[in-house]
Amino acid sequence: MDSFVVEIVTPIRVVNQENVKYLRCPGIDGSFGVMKNHRNGVIALDVGEIKIETKNDVEWYATSGGFVEILDNKVELLLESVERSNEIDVKRASSALERANQRRKNTKEPIDNIRLEASLLRALNRLKVSKK
Amino acid sequence: MASLKDIRDRIKSVKSIQKVTSAMKMVAAAKVRKAQEKMEQARPYTSALEETINHILPDVSRKDLDLLNVRKIRRKAYVIVSADRGLAGGFNSNIIKVSEKEIAEFGKENVDLFCIGKKARDHFKRRDYNIIESHIDFWSELNFENAMMIGRSAIEHFTSGKVDEIHVIYNYFVNMAQQEIKSEVLLPLSYGDEGFDEKDRLYEPSKEVLVNSLVPRHLNIQIWKYLLESYASEQAARMMAMENATTNAGDMIKSLTLEFNKARQAAITTEMLEIVSGAEALKE
Repeated sequence: MDSFVVEIVTPIRVVNQENVKYLRCPGIDGSFGVMKNHRNGVIALDVGEIKIETKNDVEWYATSGGFVEILDNKVELLLESVERSNEIDVKRASSALERANQRRKNTKEPIDNIRLEASLLRALNRLKVSKK
Repeated sequence: MASLKDIRDRIKSVKSIQKVTSAMKMVAAAKVRKAQEKMEQARPYTSALEETINHILPDVSRKDLDLLNVRKIRRKAYVIVSADRGLAGGFNSNIIKVSEKEIAEFGKENVDLFCIGKKARDHFKRRDYNIIESHIDFWSELNFENAMMIGRSAIEHFTSGKVDEIHVIYNYFVNMAQQEIKSEVLLPLSYGDEGFDEKDRLYEPSKEVLVNSLVPRHLNIQIWKYLLESYASEQAARMMAMENATTNAGDMIKSLTLEFNKARQAAITTEMLEIVSGAEALKE
C-alpha cells in the first residue's frame, strides 16, 4: 500500500487519519504536497487549507498555522487550531471578517495592522474552506 | 425563646440554601472533570512541541531568540490567574495575598500586572496597581484562543523591552482536595541544553525561522496549561467549599429541628397545664 498515517494534534484534540495517499499543506514558503516516503523534516505552516486524500475520500481542513513534522512515514501536524470543512462556524467567521474590515477602515496604527491582517486572513480562509 | 413560626421559617430558609449549595457542588464537580479532560487533551500537543523545540534549539544561536533573552531585571510583570466568581473558599483571597506579597518584595511601582479573572482585577484596580491588561468573563467558554491572546500581549510586552521578566502566579491542581499556589517565570523561557543528533532532516524555511515560530507557540500552550490548572483548582475549591456548606447546613437543620421540637413540646406542656389548672379551678 502506498499510504501513510497523518496525525493532527492540537491543544484541544487529536485527529488520526490512516491510509492517507496525499497531503497538501500551506507552508510558509508556499503550499507543498506530501506522499509516501517523503523526506523527514520539520516545516512551518501558514494560515491556509489542508487537504487530505485517502483512498476514496478527500477532506479539507482550515488551519491558522503551526508546523508539520515528518518522520518515517508518520506525519504529525501540530496546529494551534484546526477545523474540518463541515465544522466551520460560518456565521462566526463572517462576523469576524466584517469586524476586521470595519476596523481596517478606522485604524491607522501599524501595530494593529499586523493583527488585523492576520484575523482577516484567518476569517477569509475559514470561509473559503467551509465551501469545500 | 424564638416562636415556633420563627424556627419553622429558619429551617425552611436553611433547607433552601442547602439545596443551592449542593447543586453548586455538583456543577463544580462536573466542571473539574471537564477541565481535567482538557488538560489531558493538551498533553500530546505539548510534548510533541517540546520535543521538536529541543531537537532544533541546539543548532540555533540563542542570541537570535528574543524570548530566551535573559536581561538585567529592572521591571517585572506578573500574570495573576484568579477567578471571575467567588464562593470558592479561599481560592481568590489566597492567590491575591500571595501575589501582593511577591509584588511588594519587588516594589509595587516597578511592576506591571496582567489580571486574569474579575477578582484579581477588581482587587488590584481598587488599590491602584499598574494594570496593563485584564482578561475577564471568558472562563465559561474557555478556549485556546484566550491563551493565544494572553500570550500575544505578554510577548509584546516583553520583546518591546517594557519589562525584563514576566512571572505567572496561579493555582496548581494537585488533587480534588488540594491546590497549591505556584509562581513561575513565564518569560524569558528557558530550555535545557541537551542536544539531539539529527541527520538528514529537512527544515523549512530554516531552523531559525522555525524556532522563532515554535517558541511563541510553546508559550501559548504553557499559558493554556496555567489557565486550565487554575480553572480546575477553582472548581475543586468551590466544590470543597460547597460541600462544607452543605454539611454545615445539615447540622444547622438538625439543631434547629431539635429546638423546634423542644419549643413545640414546651407549648403543649403549657397548654395542658392551663387546661388542667382551669379544670381544677372549676371543681372548687
